[in-house]
Amino acid sequence: MKQYNEVLFHKLERKIGQLENRVRERTIQLEIANREMEAFAYSVSHDLRAPLRAIDGFSAILSGEYSGALDSEAKRLCSVIRENTQRMAQLIDDLLAFSRAGRATMGKTAIDMSMIVRTAFMDLVTPEASARIDFLILDLPQAMGDLPMFRQAWMNLLSNAIKFSSKKERAVIKVSAEETESGIVYSVEDNGAGFDMRYYDRLFGVFERLHAATEFPGTGVGLAIVKRIISRHGGRVWAASDIGKGATFFFSIPRESRKNTDTNNGGNHE
Amino acid sequence: MSEFDAVDILIVEDNPNDAELIVRALKKNNLANRLIIVEDGEQALDFIFCRGKYVSRISSQAPRVVFLDLKLPKIHGLEVLRQIKADETTSRMPVVVVTSSREDPDIRAAYQLGANSYVVKPVDFESFIKAMSDIGMYWLLINQPPA
Repeated sequence: MKQYNEVLFHKLERKIGQLENRVRERTIQLEIANREMEAFAYSVSHDLRAPLRAIDGFSAILSGEYSGALDSEAKRLCSVIRENTQRMAQLIDDLLAFSRAGRATMGKTAIDMSMIVRTAFMDLVTPEASARIDFLILDLPQAMGDLPMFRQAWMNLLSNAIKFSSKKERAVIKVSAEETESGIVYSVEDNGAGFDMRYYDRLFGVFERLHAATEFPGTGVGLAIVKRIISRHGGRVWAASDIGKGATFFFSIPRESRKNTDTNNGGNHE
Repeated sequence: MSEFDAVDILIVEDNPNDAELIVRALKKNNLANRLIIVEDGEQALDFIFCRGKYVSRISSQAPRVVFLDLKLPKIHGLEVLRQIKADETTSRMPVVVVTSSREDPDIRAAYQLGANSYVVKPVDFESFIKAMSDIGMYWLLINQPPA
């Protein structure tokens, strides 16, 4: 009986050794892939923006300094060129933000959510715009997580709330939170255009939009970024809407749980 | 005495389109009279240290500010920055990093090496022109150069 156990024990040891090797290999592969993504993002950031700057700049010079030689149609064509370069610049920025949300190593500190939300709102609105917005922040409990990522997530959620309620005479935006048994649920509610719940499963997709660009501008990456950030914190995102009346976006952050989050604090082995 | 002595702005920029836009912006504010453009890191260092094709330059007449792009052929902008700041005779020269890169590692490295300022080139034309002429005005007219 003892010999049988010993054999089993050795087999187990060997198996564990093999699995640990595989984990090591996979980790190395992941690190390589991550570094390649970083290099790719760096290249995109620098090399794609330069030609865009040239296209925008030289079209502007053309329509500006040569405006005497151009009729109104020619000037309109130049402005179409410029609008598209601006759109492409925005797409590049958004794609990079999306890539960063998936790649960046995460910090972990206590986050003052109220402060982030207040600062984000002030950064997003001009004084004239804020005059027609009723902005309400209820008590927001702190959470543990990565500060720059949460800043990005709140910016995106608030920017949407502001954008989609921009056509209402009086925009009403309310940010609140609820403590549940498993964690905290934060929400952003607006009285704007809302979205059609039939297309709910496209809501958080990359480059997916539920409104025409002529209605509301946007690249369709904002919510995908929010989803990525919240998932990396072990939480979920969801939303509900009454089209024409408004929308509410929710995200949950689980209570301190080592298993679910992919925080990277180095050296914190059990 | 060579034509390269009294230079206000040394622009280190390999992209001719960006160089053209920068010069236009500076011209709008009459800041383009004494500037020189070099297209790679090696020429930038040759100019600053009066060697290579700039061997006849008088080194005491330093450019009043250097606009330095980072992604340059031959010698990378950060290495140019490092050499300028490491040499006692040139370390006080104001260097403004003017680059497309908004990436943190570059920003951190540039300041670590002693860059006086870090400016990301906007894509939008009006913003770009304004940024370049603002920087030109600041470093040539407002800022007090080192003694």
